[in-house]
Amino acid sequence: MSYLEDDLRMALRRAEPSADFMDCVLARVNQPPPPEPSWWERLTVLLRPPRLQWVAACVILGVMVPAGVQYRKQQRMRAEGEKAKEQLMFAVRVAGNKLHRVQQKVLEMGRMETRL
Amino acid sequence: MVFGLAYHFLHDRAVAEELAQEVFLELYRHFGTIESPQHLVFWLRKVTSRRCIDHTRRRAFWPKLRLDEVPEPASPARLADPMLSRALARLVASLPERAKLVVILRYQEDLDPVDIAQVLDMPVATVKSHLQRSLAMLRDKLARTIGEIAI
Amino acid sequence: MKILLILAVCMLAGGLGRGQVVDLKHLDRLAAKASETADVTLDGSLLKLGAKFLSNDDPDQAKVKKLVAGLKGIYVRTFEFENEGEYLESDVASIRKQLQAPGWSRIVGVRSKKDGENAEVYLKTDGPDGGLAIICANPKELTVVSIVGKIDLDELSELGHLGVPKIELEKPKPPGKKDDD
Repeated sequence: MSYLEDDLRMALRRAEPSADFMDCVLARVNQPPPPEPSWWERLTVLLRPPRLQWVAACVILGVMVPAGVQYRKQQRMRAEGEKAKEQLMFAVRVAGNKLHRVQQKVLEMGRMETRL
Repeated sequence: MVFGLAYHFLHDRAVAEELAQEVFLELYRHFGTIESPQHLVFWLRKVTSRRCIDHTRRRAFWPKLRLDEVPEPASPARLADPMLSRALARLVASLPERAKLVVILRYQEDLDPVDIAQVLDMPVATVKSHLQRSLAMLRDKLARTIGEIAI
Repeated sequence: MKILLILAVCMLAGGLGRGQVVDLKHLDRLAAKASETADVTLDGSLLKLGAKFLSNDDPDQAKVKKLVAGLKGIYVRTFEFENEGEYLESDVASIRKQLQAPGWSRIVGVRSKKDGENAEVYLKTDGPDGGLAIICANPKELTVVSIVGKIDLDELSELGHLGVPKIELEKPKPPGKKDDD
């Protein structure tokens, strides 16, 4: 087994998704599919007066846009949080790695002194 | 596993999560076709791999960094070095799509070439060739700084 | 003139107030020469945000979460170079000088002629915030870690499987206590 392969196993070890990953999947699973419009409904859309359609579109946008903005904000927060978490784990690993090397050297020197 | 595969392929956490969610949604829709736990694992790997490749093909404007453009990591150490791991993960992410998947399935999932060939619908010889060439490229980048790497 | 004096006092006070944070800004210029760089600056709300996303279900993350609960900042600068001599001794010396300030104790110093690596560990026990600083320098790599806040060395050493070893570092004796010889 080569060192490169060991290093690759280390570098490519399984990563964990965010804590609410399963909740997101379940939320998407439980979302009811939009109902198929009947031929009559499709026809009435064409016959409906344009003004009413505009009003309806504005109302929907008025609800969807803030919701969309809020969703994007949450997504951004989540991405920032995950990034900060990764950096934190990385920083602790680097600190640990360096401390371990210091310890190894101290132990090595202790062994050499014992032999002398 | 699913997220890990997507993450190491795409090297983008948010996109990998999105992709992983889609895989599980697809699993939910096709759950009736799953025959066994082993089939489930195989199915997840196969679908995740396919979606990863589909994703990169859709996003053809991604600036692909060629392996020779990625800066070489300097002085990696034998101890589990977080810097080396990061550099290696970046090098792997810059491999061509199919080769990248082969490497990830080999070293993240510990699959042998026959299993990888089944997941990716690829001849075993092609899998082995991808592995050999990718390792050679990665070894070349690293060996310049740490000397001969024994295989 | 008076305004300049007030400004100078404010700057000095600001500097003193942040004295527990090791200033690593002068190392930023090394990034241009390095083939690999890691730059982590986590303090204040960003540190809290990162800690918030640590999972209690993952044992490693849960331990890190507990460790960083009392911390105010974590700063890491790592530079890896293709050639030797890309950073100056003065780059390291200026960090050491900061760590000679009152309250800091050098608890481990290791110098290896074989691979040219110098490693030092400093601990801050004075003042409202504790701290830990690590300097690892070899001809092709420079790493500085600065942690601000109360560190429990026993908790830190428990994270052995993350690469943080169980080490028995001798905690600096309070002034006035003598060794039993």
